[in-house]
Amino acid sequence: MMQKRWFKVFVWFASTSFFFLASGILISELGPEPSEQQTMQFMMGMMDAMHNSMMGLSMSLEHDTGLKQLVGTASYILVPLVILAVLFGLLVRFRGKRNAR
Amino acid sequence: MNIRFDFVIHWLWTIVFALLTLSGLAMVGAKYGWILNYDIASADYVHRVLAAVYVLLTFISIAYEVVRAVKHEEKKLAWFIIGKSGYQLFTFITTLMFIITGAIIWVCMDSNMSATAFALYIHEKLTYIVVASVIWHIYAKCHALLWPKKPNTTDKKNVAGTK
Repeated sequence: MMQKRWFKVFVWFASTSFFFLASGILISELGPEPSEQQTMQFMMGMMDAMHNSMMGLSMSLEHDTGLKQLVGTASYILVPLVILAVLFGLLVRFRGKRNAR
Repeated sequence: MNIRFDFVIHWLWTIVFALLTLSGLAMVGAKYGWILNYDIASADYVHRVLAAVYVLLTFISIAYEVVRAVKHEEKKLAWFIIGKSGYQLFTFITTLMFIITGAIIWVCMDSNMSATAFALYIHEKLTYIVVASVIWHIYAKCHALLWPKKPNTTDKKNVAGTK
């Protein structure tokens, strides 16, 4: 697959995109402070996100008692589940080492 | 054509991570808004949808590793995104941090501002570290960028001539 030309083009595209992203970070961090107009544009964008995107939807779900109960239950069982998963992982590792011997 | 599971996950994950970074950076602040021309609504939408795909891909990868561990398969998967050592371990830890802080931001946005602020700080700074690490990863694996060689016709003729 890695020898296919179309895939090489994709690999080049994907790799280059990360250089663009890193450049974007550097330009934003080292560039001048945003103007008042840019700050207003950002704030307008945020307001737009609250009205038209999932940001507003997730904020309205805050008042959903059923969902809050679900989140509460999920948080309650999270710690025992993590402990169980760690114990299971250790068991698998120790059994693997014993079988290797 | 034999395409391996770890290879597919690697490149799917790459695409999702690149788009998540692009949409996430646009939301960092007014300084970063230019990246997506201040279209925060689209960035937010794309970021949340792709976050679900990112979590799904990560959980599939973890489940695959668990199954391999249960079967005592020791063979290292060269393309896999998670693993026991090196960059795979780094990716595994940072991915879990992204998922946990992302979930805190999503859930606590309107109820617990201090938790949201802390999670946002970690999520943002971690992005810079991981993007820098990806640049290093590309440098370390730059042989993957080499263009496949064309079969050289003159060489073939020479070889044929010696026979």
